[in-house]
Amino acid sequence: MIRACSHCGEDTKKIEEEFCCLGCSAAYKIINKLGFENYYKLREIDPKIRKIKPEIEEEIDVAEFVFDQKDGSHSVSLMVQGLHCAACVWLIESILKKQQNVITARINLFRKTLFLRWKGDAKDGNKLIHIISEIGYKLLPFDEEILNTSEKKYNDSILRALAVAGFGVGNVMLFSFALWFYDVGKMGIETRNLMHFFSSLIALPVIVFSSRPFFSSAFKSIKAGYPNMDLAIAIAIFLACAVSLLETFRGAENVYFDSAVMLIFFLLIGRYLDLKARKKAFAIASEFTLLAASFGRVEDGKKIKILPSKQLQEGMILLVGAGEKIAADGVVIDGESEIDMSLISGETLPKKIQKNHEVFAGTINLISPLRIRITKSTQNSLLSKIISLSDGIGSAKNHYVRVADRLSKIYTPAVHLLAFLTFCLWCFYFKIGWEGSLMNATAVLIITCPCALALAVPIIQTIAISNFIKKGILVKSGEALEKLNEIDVIVFDKTGSLTIGKPRLCDVFLLRNEEKISLTKEQKNFYLKLAASLAKKSRHPISRAISASYLGDLEELQVEESQGLGLSSIFENKILKLGRETFCTIAGGNILRQAQHENNVTLLNDDSQLNCFMKFGEDELVFFFEDEIKTDAKLVIERLKQMDKKIILLSGDVEKTVERVAKKLAIAEFYFEQTPVSKVEILEKVKAKNKKFIMIGDGLNDAPSLALADVSISFAQAADISQNIADVVIQGQKLQPIIDLINFSQRAISLMKQNLLIALLYNLVAVPFAIAGFVVPLIAAIAMSSSSLLVLFNSLRMNKGVNL
Amino acid sequence: MSVLLFLIPITLALSLLGLGCFLWALKSKQYDDLEGAASRILFDDQDKNSDKK
Repeated sequence: MIRACSHCGEDTKKIEEEFCCLGCSAAYKIINKLGFENYYKLREIDPKIRKIKPEIEEEIDVAEFVFDQKDGSHSVSLMVQGLHCAACVWLIESILKKQQNVITARINLFRKTLFLRWKGDAKDGNKLIHIISEIGYKLLPFDEEILNTSEKKYNDSILRALAVAGFGVGNVMLFSFALWFYDVGKMGIETRNLMHFFSSLIALPVIVFSSRPFFSSAFKSIKAGYPNMDLAIAIAIFLACAVSLLETFRGAENVYFDSAVMLIFFLLIGRYLDLKARKKAFAIASEFTLLAASFGRVEDGKKIKILPSKQLQEGMILLVGAGEKIAADGVVIDGESEIDMSLISGETLPKKIQKNHEVFAGTINLISPLRIRITKSTQNSLLSKIISLSDGIGSAKNHYVRVADRLSKIYTPAVHLLAFLTFCLWCFYFKIGWEGSLMNATAVLIITCPCALALAVPIIQTIAISNFIKKGILVKSGEALEKLNEIDVIVFDKTGSLTIGKPRLCDVFLLRNEEKISLTKEQKNFYLKLAASLAKKSRHPISRAISASYLGDLEELQVEESQGLGLSSIFENKILKLGRETFCTIAGGNILRQAQHENNVTLLNDDSQLNCFMKFGEDELVFFFEDEIKTDAKLVIERLKQMDKKIILLSGDVEKTVERVAKKLAIAEFYFEQTPVSKVEILEKVKAKNKKFIMIGDGLNDAPSLALADVSISFAQAADISQNIADVVIQGQKLQPIIDLINFSQRAISLMKQNLLIALLYNLVAVPFAIAGFVVPLIAAIAMSSSSLLVLFNSLRMNKGVNL
Repeated sequence: MSVLLFLIPITLALSLLGLGCFLWALKSKQYDDLEGAASRILFDDQDKNSDKK
């Protein structure tokens, strides 16, 4: 019986063997020796994550990434590949903590990173890392700076402000309650003044500290020349404080400190919700795959050094293992392999490369290790050129005015005008003096202050975004949610977006006298089994396609892999070969041309070999593959057409293939053989017609188009850069989420508008009272919290009646 | 009412303490990884047991 490896969980491939390789057996021993055998009982293996199989590696040197701490200790941040569950966290942390000199070893499960701090020699870090790689986790150093982004700092500052405001609200309320319900007769003027004094003592520092986000945003909006909601908020807060302070010193009856603090508290809650939803989407959208590509292993004498990609220079020798991403543009000096170019060119099949061939940063080395001489430093690589092209387009994008901001454009000036008129009314008509008039004007500002307005949008956004996450749709900006509502055109890329982007076996034929002969089911099964047994270990996309199409038991074969040509073995004393026609010594050119002519089997690119041959004894077979169209593509396109959306297909592939896909899906408008630049040109024409469009694409070649689009959608298996640019990242192979997105965003927008309407109506009722001078602090507080609650309850209806 | 003169400072001191604790927790990065913290608590016991053995 073949069992799963006791350490990594992979098939052992040999009968009655406990481990799949020596590395696993050694790792198992280490873990048992250290007394962590419980780990195997507690862990849960997640099949989607890299197995914890130790790889034989050169000694790595992370010196470039080590930070020297003030107290003489050293620290390094590492990404951990192979973290399956909390048991892994426990295992790694416990093992490291048992080592001498380790001060801190802490894993962040959310980010999948390890922070390691130790005393003594800076070089000891390498040893510590080695221990963990020995048990099968892969550790990659990265620059902690990348994580300390402005986003994170902003997030922390909002949370801090929220905490302080919460403290302020709680404490000011203690006094306010007393003030609301006891009149001066009962508590005496001195006590009241004392309470006012304490309120101001608490409220002022709190307000100064926690209103900064609003004031800075208000200043920015003034500079930019269009007043936003934050300006109205800032002015209201400022006036409420100033007037209340004045009243406190005058020993007057009403102060509004509680309203001001409560306002800030509510608004900060809205901000925080907004941030949290986005942060979650970002974290899942695997920003860390981006980091993974941001270093390279460089030969330095006999040692291997890991360098951040920024420091990769022309002339260095870069080592790229099988399955790894190439970190810089260069020329191969050693090794033969195939590389996956799909993210750069959109081609489905890997390209064969050997000595003196050029390779590009961002592509993936598939088969065997390569030594590459770097010809361009990272800043000049093809990858960075495409990235900077996209960045340029992204920043030149029109500024989109969001629903709430559109409203505030009218609302803010109107409210200020109203407050000013109130002041004039009381001051010059009723002649009650400027203090009293200012008081009433401030009451107008407080009561109209867009507290509910400011909550209206973020609440919906948070609910919508977290609902989408459950469905595997990551919406990275709330703006996208609003824009989705105004879309007229939907532009698809082909490879990887409409199609799966990987070859899939579609038919097998026997070859005899240059004719192809159909097989019976049993025959087909037999040959497929042989092919799958051969292909089991190979990483080539064609091999994977064969393995994927046969699910039964496999034969145990000793397989020999000839780089870039094929696989061979011996079965039942007959030679078994799988690969290109020359490798299998089959003359099959005729058959291929014939097949292409008939067009019943599809070849992806004219020159690419989306077919492979097998020879078993005297039997010659041909396998045909196609880049399969996603199962629900046709249905989704139909639905989109029903919604009156125009569909465009934009591909870098050759005419024949694109035309075939377009025909199958009934897409009238399609463009083929497009470069990243020409794609942008076509889309600019669409834009010039004043149409709003969604771009759906996955490749690096789509990145500039994604940046240009009003809403960009990408896939979780797409190029890192595309995922980073895209507003929405969809997980899985389905297109249905696009429909869900459009439908659900429509509902979200209508609820947002309802919320805004409720808030506005509320103000409409309350404002006359404020103008008339009836609004004492208690009424202001009730109005503010009840309108916020109403908006909240309305938003909770979001989940009703929608199957998402 | 003079009791207020004691009670108010006490309230303030207590709530400032709470605020201080929160800000400290935030600064020491305890809010960076809420998921990890939630599951890590399950394993601390295990750790101690295996040490005792």
